[in-house]
Amino acid sequence: MLRKNPTLRHILGRAAWYFVTFLVAVTVNFFLPRLGDANPIDAILAKTNAGDSAGAREKEEAYLRQFGLAEVDAQGKVIRTADGKPVRTGLGKQFVSYLGLTLQGDLGTSFLQFPKPVSEIIKDALPWTLCLQLPTIIFGWLVGNLLGALAAYKRGVFDRIIYPLALLVSAVPAFCVGILMVYYFGIKLEWFPAVGGYDAGTTPALSSDFLSSAAYYYVMPFLSIFMIVVGGQSIGMRSMVIYELGTDYVKYAKLLGIKENKILLYTFRNAMLPQLTGLALALGAMVGGALITEIIFSYPGLGMAILTAIQGNDYPVITGCTLLITVCVLVANFSVDILVGLLDPRIRAAQAAESN
Amino acid sequence: MARRPFASAVIALACVAVTLLGCRKHKNNSPTASSSTGGAQTATGFARNETLYVGGRQWGEPSSFNPLAGWQDWPVNDMNLIYETLLMYDPLGGKLVPLLAQSYEVKDDSIEVVMNAAAKWNDGQPVTADDVKYTFDLGKEFKSLLMSPLFTSHYVSDVKITEPGHVVFTLDPSQKNALPVLDACVEIRIVPKHVIEPMLKAANGNIDDFLKQKFDKDPVGSGPYKLNSYSSEKIVTVRDDNYWGNKVFFEGKLPAPKYVTHPIYKSNDHFSIGLQQGNIDVSSSFVPRIQEKKAVKAWYDKEPYFVPTAIPMLWPQVLHKPLDDAHLRRAMAFSINYKDIRDLAVSGYSDPMESGLILPFGLEKKFFSAEDSKEFGATRYDVEAAKAELKAGGYTSVFKDGELVETRDKAGKKLETLFIKSPTGWTDWESIVRIVVKGMRAAGIDARERFIDANLFWGDLYSGNFDLIMFTPTPPPAPSKPWSRFDVVLSSSEWAPQGEKRYKNMGRFNNPKGPGYIARIDELLSQIPRIKDDAELIKAYRELNVLYMKNQPTIPLVYRPNQFYEFTEQHWKGFPTAANPYLPPQMPGERLGTRILWHLTPVGGS
Repeated sequence: MLRKNPTLRHILGRAAWYFVTFLVAVTVNFFLPRLGDANPIDAILAKTNAGDSAGAREKEEAYLRQFGLAEVDAQGKVIRTADGKPVRTGLGKQFVSYLGLTLQGDLGTSFLQFPKPVSEIIKDALPWTLCLQLPTIIFGWLVGNLLGALAAYKRGVFDRIIYPLALLVSAVPAFCVGILMVYYFGIKLEWFPAVGGYDAGTTPALSSDFLSSAAYYYVMPFLSIFMIVVGGQSIGMRSMVIYELGTDYVKYAKLLGIKENKILLYTFRNAMLPQLTGLALALGAMVGGALITEIIFSYPGLGMAILTAIQGNDYPVITGCTLLITVCVLVANFSVDILVGLLDPRIRAAQAAESN
Repeated sequence: MARRPFASAVIALACVAVTLLGCRKHKNNSPTASSSTGGAQTATGFARNETLYVGGRQWGEPSSFNPLAGWQDWPVNDMNLIYETLLMYDPLGGKLVPLLAQSYEVKDDSIEVVMNAAAKWNDGQPVTADDVKYTFDLGKEFKSLLMSPLFTSHYVSDVKITEPGHVVFTLDPSQKNALPVLDACVEIRIVPKHVIEPMLKAANGNIDDFLKQKFDKDPVGSGPYKLNSYSSEKIVTVRDDNYWGNKVFFEGKLPAPKYVTHPIYKSNDHFSIGLQQGNIDVSSSFVPRIQEKKAVKAWYDKEPYFVPTAIPMLWPQVLHKPLDDAHLRRAMAFSINYKDIRDLAVSGYSDPMESGLILPFGLEKKFFSAEDSKEFGATRYDVEAAKAELKAGGYTSVFKDGELVETRDKAGKKLETLFIKSPTGWTDWESIVRIVVKGMRAAGIDARERFIDANLFWGDLYSGNFDLIMFTPTPPPAPSKPWSRFDVVLSSSEWAPQGEKRYKNMGRFNNPKGPGYIARIDELLSQIPRIKDDAELIKAYRELNVLYMKNQPTIPLVYRPNQFYEFTEQHWKGFPTAANPYLPPQMPGERLGTRILWHLTPVGGS
């Protein structure tokens, strides 16, 4: 069957590769944060009033047992070496138990926010990240492409103003835009609230009060990412359209006297393909969070969760979040691979040839 | 031309709007669903003139409101909003103020506490002596709880009820030291036995399992506020109009704010902005250059702005040669430009430095001797004195083009560079360490900064793995000051070798079994808590402070407040200040500062 269906064969081949990539990523995600010297228990103990040595020792043992970080004997006591240090559970053993639990859908418990499960941390942070990013990416992508196409096609004022402007905006780092906006519009002019996601006097609910407050608070974070997405997209789209306008099929269409609108549509569709790939990848990477924007506007999204986890050696949260990002990026990549094949007959033909 | 793309853009715009709205809806649902505490009292809108916004005590999502957990979130940790302590400490007057206990008496071998009969849990049950005994006895059974050091460090031998409403802490005869017990009376929050005992039983007496309980659904407490709701963005408490203390302490008056809310921001900057814009009313976050922030006020309206209670210091590892040499440690102290630290690193939020471990102002001032500080102290910027100490210790320094190349000891051997450890990202400490290094190198001591991961920092600190390290001992004001500061810095009790964790005297100074042991230091540490006579106490403190200065086992750098205290009167007025010190500079809700809540008035109506 596979022999007769090169497309299916191609898809399965890609899927196998993606699976291997996934395994490697999971392994690296697990080991990288744990390679350092730091002991997460020290960080937890430091934050609590450690008390005297005996109390602190018991507290340390409780955490070590809880997180499975040390070897325990038959009585449940932590085994210690001659100089009093707990015998750490081997990384290999930890990895096996991690894989087992992950396959059952259990991402573990956070060290820092103990006893909160990692899945709940992700669940709480994800809506913020999606709300911040999804509209900016999609809307920014649409507007950017439109402006890019217009600049390329209309030239003149569009090209002389929009293009340099887009270049400038896309070259400015997101945090710069964010900080400047907070300073001028938030603190100096007080047009918009400087931090947070909604007015502290409201509670998330489907009320007009809350929605209008959320929209008001949303303006600055939205614009700070949106402008950059627009800039980047329009530059890409502009060069793609210029390239397409110079191709033979456009010249031929013009010779045939086809209406300009129609030609524009053709070029637009062709120029769109690489942009689509970019969109899918951006959507995949989106769950990583817009860390800088989240920090500047104090949005409790995933980027923030990951940063806090890394600073506190909160291994379960780090691995949980990186697992989510890995899966999303891989799925997005995979979809692009398949979709582009389906959308673009040229690539489909190439795939078929490659498979034979 | 190009009409169609425009049309599609409009459609796309509409789509995005829908997505956005849908997304918002989703967001609404999740925090409410996961975090509201349920019940009829859950409010959804908070009028500004009924809500006090506090900041600086919660930096991440709340994880546990369990009053016994080692790590609690606002409003439990250090707070008297939901759970209450027996007594409260007034750091301005040095007095203990009644709360759950109406009085206390310190005797030679015990402390007797008399409960306030009017005290009630918010479920209507009375707060009894039994609850107090139960709370403290938990520390006997479970070594990881906050009260356990009372027993494991042999301060208290038992807690008993002698007659109804009377709790007696029997002081361990080996020390007869009441100070840690008084500290516990102002730090340990009493828990309801009738709630905790069944829960602990349900967990089969396993404290680890019990501590997983979050206590976030209508917790039973005795304090003036209840937990209303929480999410990753804020924690809201609501006034309990039936609070027993309203009648007992305030003639039936209610605290002014109906809600006390702590928005959760991720950085100091956000709390600063919040204060300036009036979205936060009072905060304990660090606000740099407060004089430039419009509308933001502090305890004093000029330097040092705050009331220092703590001394961040450098801890040399005395077991590392050549740091075992007091000449070198004193030379280090002389080489530091303390004025630069005060002006540049901490925005001027410190009084000028004096030598020794006693604060030269406030309540500790009576124990401080300027004369001793001048004669024996090395905590002043004096490069010549530093060089003289180095010479006395036989050290020579090699400079080339004005830059230090190396330091040599008596035998002419090159000394290894000494590294000062400090957590990376703690910017005020980083600036302090840089100024210290500059001074030491200029004086001829080969030292360098080493900023390390904050998680590595704590392990290194307690196990003694450092040349020199930054640390602030016992920052909160407490009845045991300044004894407890001396104890943490100098005590040789519960000695542990380098490599094993030790929570006092991390530099391992004055090992009882080591060479040159100064028995007098430990003697004074154990005698001071028992001295009743003021003149004798002053004498003992002076002697101990002089021993400290001569040996310089740590190097004090600057004075700092335990918690910062900034407020703005855009929405609430009546915060205490140095000009109107009716209560100490503490957060409303924190320790004695809880009482500020009854003195506030909203600005204007709405």
